[in-house]
Amino acid sequence: MQPKGIKEIYQGYFNIIDEYFGSIKHYLGPDEDSHIDLGLEIASYPLISDLVFDATEDIDKAIENFWYANLKDLIAYVEQQDCLKCVYSGDVSPPILENFVKKSALYIDTVIIPDPIYNLVRFQKQIAQDNKYYLNKLIRNVFNVWKLKDLVLADTKERILLILPINLDLVKSEARNKLIEKAETKFISYTGSLFDQEFADKESCFEYLSHQKSSKDIFGNIKRYDILPNEFKKFETLDGFLNNLHATRKYTKIPIGTVGDSFGIYISAQFIRVQEHQFMCQRLNAEPIYDDQLPWFFFNYEMGGLDMDAAIATALQQENFEWLTKVPLQAIKILREEDKLEYMRGVIRKGITDLKAKKVKDLLEVSEIIQKNIQEELRRHAAEMSDLKKEVKSITRKEIPISTGGYLVGLIPYYGFIVSLPFILRDIIRLLGQKKRTEQVIEEKERSYTNLLLKSHEKN
Amino acid sequence: MVVFLDYISRKLKENPDYNPHPIIRAFMCALQDIDKIENEKTVMGVSQEGTRDAIYEAYIVVLQKHSDGIEVKEIQNVNVGKRLPTDAMILIFRLQIQLDRIEGDIVSPEEAVVALNKVIPGERFVLLGDKWKEAIEEFRRALKAGEVYLPANHKAIEETLKQLDEIPAEAPWEDYPNDLRALIGSSVAKKYFKGGSVVITTPTHFKFEKYKVFQMATEFLIGRAADYFRPE
Repeated sequence: MQPKGIKEIYQGYFNIIDEYFGSIKHYLGPDEDSHIDLGLEIASYPLISDLVFDATEDIDKAIENFWYANLKDLIAYVEQQDCLKCVYSGDVSPPILENFVKKSALYIDTVIIPDPIYNLVRFQKQIAQDNKYYLNKLIRNVFNVWKLKDLVLADTKERILLILPINLDLVKSEARNKLIEKAETKFISYTGSLFDQEFADKESCFEYLSHQKSSKDIFGNIKRYDILPNEFKKFETLDGFLNNLHATRKYTKIPIGTVGDSFGIYISAQFIRVQEHQFMCQRLNAEPIYDDQLPWFFFNYEMGGLDMDAAIATALQQENFEWLTKVPLQAIKILREEDKLEYMRGVIRKGITDLKAKKVKDLLEVSEIIQKNIQEELRRHAAEMSDLKKEVKSITRKEIPISTGGYLVGLIPYYGFIVSLPFILRDIIRLLGQKKRTEQVIEEKERSYTNLLLKSHEKN
Repeated sequence: MVVFLDYISRKLKENPDYNPHPIIRAFMCALQDIDKIENEKTVMGVSQEGTRDAIYEAYIVVLQKHSDGIEVKEIQNVNVGKRLPTDAMILIFRLQIQLDRIEGDIVSPEEAVVALNKVIPGERFVLLGDKWKEAIEEFRRALKAGEVYLPANHKAIEETLKQLDEIPAEAPWEDYPNDLRALIGSSVAKKYFKGGSVVITTPTHFKFEKYKVFQMATEFLIGRAADYFRPE
């Protein structure tokens, strides 16, 4: 399928958003996190939130029908794409998708994100105890995606951003059962190692965890801190995480149980998510990408680390590349128009071998190399710009005034020989032409992606 | 609230004959003229449901144009003769959505109760349903004991008892006159249901038009009974 067909399909996706939330979008502010504010705001009005919930409740059917009609074509398109693709996993969608894409599109041809609307309406809605909680999530995710409409529909050689309904639910039952079975085995084995216990099955595992009444119990009973994500290695951060997790369960229909139950559900869900993610990456010939260290940790634990491209893509999401979010969104299209993505990839990859980023240290190492590579490229670009500007300056201030001055007063500049008037004219025309060409190069370079990158970096 | 306009647009796209609630039609009517007026001026839209013989659910919407948007100045239910507060309007919109999910123009009393309770907080609407026989006996007892305060315009206690006795014992619930059914339902409400309940006494196998559900809601929210049945 040609990209044009893909564009039309996604136009249909955004039409659904417009049909359901078109009027609300006018309330979206200009800030990068305005979708988060809008979700919170609408969900906080007691009566209005009920009306919004009721009026948009049947979006589930619209979105399911949409995917039913288009998924096959989209999967076929992605499968035949011969470029660097990455599939996101972690949260429903990256908290600020715009920033996630700004960082990843510097290296990846196509970013694939699971359709947050599909996942929310098909799954979270069913377990949501509180409609406001669900509505908040729905609105923030709808507009998180909607803000990137132009980028999704952009006419680029490779689609910059694709949205697909990634969920185990859409995997054929036989394969799905195998993945779930595998995830359960891994969960039992991980939890067994963590607490140094022998668990016969998932039930006995949860039975053990249900007796852990507090974060203190959990932390105290852990025997293998080395297989914990960094965030869980300290009691304070584990406690904070578990308190938040446990608190959000009151919004769902899942019985609350103990803190140990919540911990078990979270870990078990991570292993299922890893299986789903790996399956989808294989199916779509894509690499995994993460924006958060917790889900990344579990993928690494399970798969033994990320390959070079996945490691670089994930490293770009780290905090030290926050300045990339200041690059205007339009710049991503410019990078594609300039056909410089491959060049940029080369710049970023310099000195990075096909390592496995298994530990946070590995990821930090990768991100430091990337940082160095990008800075070198920016320095090179800045030097190039400076040289070009100097060239223009020298033509403007020195050569042209002398020649022109001589010409204008009717004097012929004398450099040890007689120079004819036509020669001077040619000289001036040549210099003016050279100046114009250089200025054009400067103008082009100023509009270039690297220059936009440089400006954002300087502002940082 | 604008999200409801999106909802209406989708409904009209699905079915060009879709008939939105009179408030929305009054809104649309007013909006048609909003471009033609100057800032700070008002425009009115009127919409009604009904037939030549009976008009029900007539609404007036007044909008004021400002440089930065449109302000809803007034929404008035003409039948009840009262202003519809914004929160009541939202409940009416939600009721429309619930009723749209039921196919056709008529609903069963059970469907009406479910729809009303879904949008009006407090599970205030109850269906008398199969309790009607024991309700008649309880009503008869309470009436004799002087525990029932009949409305001023209603028949006297003796006459009401006589009316009850004239109905054959084996007569089905639908054979009881509407006003008597309503009186029985409201008189036994406290005994069978929690305080403040609105008892729907329509026989369970009967169906009625959707607009009557709107009337029930409007009556409950801003009608004569509103003072007795304030939403919690």
